[in-house]
Amino acid sequence: MVDGFIANSLAEALEIRATQDVVPYAGGTDLMVVNRPGLTYLFIGKVPELKRVFVDEQYVHIGAAVTFTEAIHNPDVPTLMKEAISRIAAPAIRNAGTFGGNLGNGSAKADSVLIEFATDAKLRLVSAKGERIIDVDKFYLGRKKLDLAKDELIAEILLPSKGIENYAYTKVGGRNALAISRVSFAGVFASEEGKITNIAAAFGAVADTVLRYKDIEEMLLGKTIAEARELRQDYLQAYSERMVLTRGRVSAEYRKGVCMNLLGDFLTKFGI
Amino acid sequence: MADIHFTLNGQEVAYEGSAADRLLDVLRDTYRCTSVKCGCKEGECGACSVIIDGILHNSCCVAMGAVNNCSIVTMEGYRETDRFKVLSKAFGELSAVQCGFCIPGMVLAAEALLSQNPKPTEEEIREELSGNLCRCTGYNAIVNAVKNAAKEGDGLW
Repeated sequence: MVDGFIANSLAEALEIRATQDVVPYAGGTDLMVVNRPGLTYLFIGKVPELKRVFVDEQYVHIGAAVTFTEAIHNPDVPTLMKEAISRIAAPAIRNAGTFGGNLGNGSAKADSVLIEFATDAKLRLVSAKGERIIDVDKFYLGRKKLDLAKDELIAEILLPSKGIENYAYTKVGGRNALAISRVSFAGVFASEEGKITNIAAAFGAVADTVLRYKDIEEMLLGKTIAEARELRQDYLQAYSERMVLTRGRVSAEYRKGVCMNLLGDFLTKFGI
Repeated sequence: MADIHFTLNGQEVAYEGSAADRLLDVLRDTYRCTSVKCGCKEGECGACSVIIDGILHNSCCVAMGAVNNCSIVTMEGYRETDRFKVLSKAFGELSAVQCGFCIPGMVLAAEALLSQNPKPTEEEIREELSGNLCRCTGYNAIVNAVKNAAKEGDGLW
């Protein structure tokens, strides 16, 4: 092999990352579409520390090099995440594509990333010097711009292990298989003693990053379903005013219309 | 850095080129496995499907550095197996092949499915083949061929 590095452990990968100008390669399904000449890859797809899925008190930990197929078959991965990733591309791509790659590619169309936004997931980033845990929305600085230092790797995704059982998820693509999201939506709902405690709504594929407006969500937090129903129109109006979408494969108007419909369906599903 | 070692259709090989080279190109150009077709080079058609360590992959989306110590099967190797004979017969009997371009990938996708799930439902067959595009047959004949192969080859998978 004339170039490239194959890491067998996380320590080895971080050492190479710290000293060489390399592009981390996990599943390769996004990188190889372009395969920009002159890149030196750091192959991390088989690093054991990045392949683990486990649950602790607070989080479901999903290693960055876990493939979508592996996650679909893992009983610890939450249903909402499984529903989204089982619609990514087709089996051969899901056999290779990873959670870390979906994040690292930086696209707002990444189907697993939408779920991470909707569930307030955190990411564990590691380097030879240490590690840091950040909220997924802080990781995205803009279109294809990530808060990831040159010596860092994405190590794992931390999804909340509770409170994401009630959700709405829709992917709108041009066809069933091998479809890049044109618009995607994930909403998570939770209530306690009749009051809404969570009403997260995230929109994918319609702007430079996944969109989520926590201040608008606050309008309905602490409200009963009946109170929320009274506020439905104001809430939808607030989203409609805030969402300034870009044109992509489809027009901005179409995207906006679909986003508002899916948001409305989400409210309706939970009686609002 | 050392060569990339892997097994290709049962034979050990050492690749001396770049770790960033595309598996699809290397299989075709270096090892003359021309059953592996290049349809799109972006993971959207499945014509370049190969089986790596028992799992279906699009070889266009794999860099050589990722296959170190792996075992790769293409149609050149698979055609020597009894399982292939059953699939070949089923595809032939149902005219599931027209131009043939997608067929090596389609057959390997069927193998990947049957090796995990020897008695798939029609829905499972359609799902597992959903990444393999065919512009001739309209898919029904292919799906039926896989269904028949599963029946005929009972015990082989």
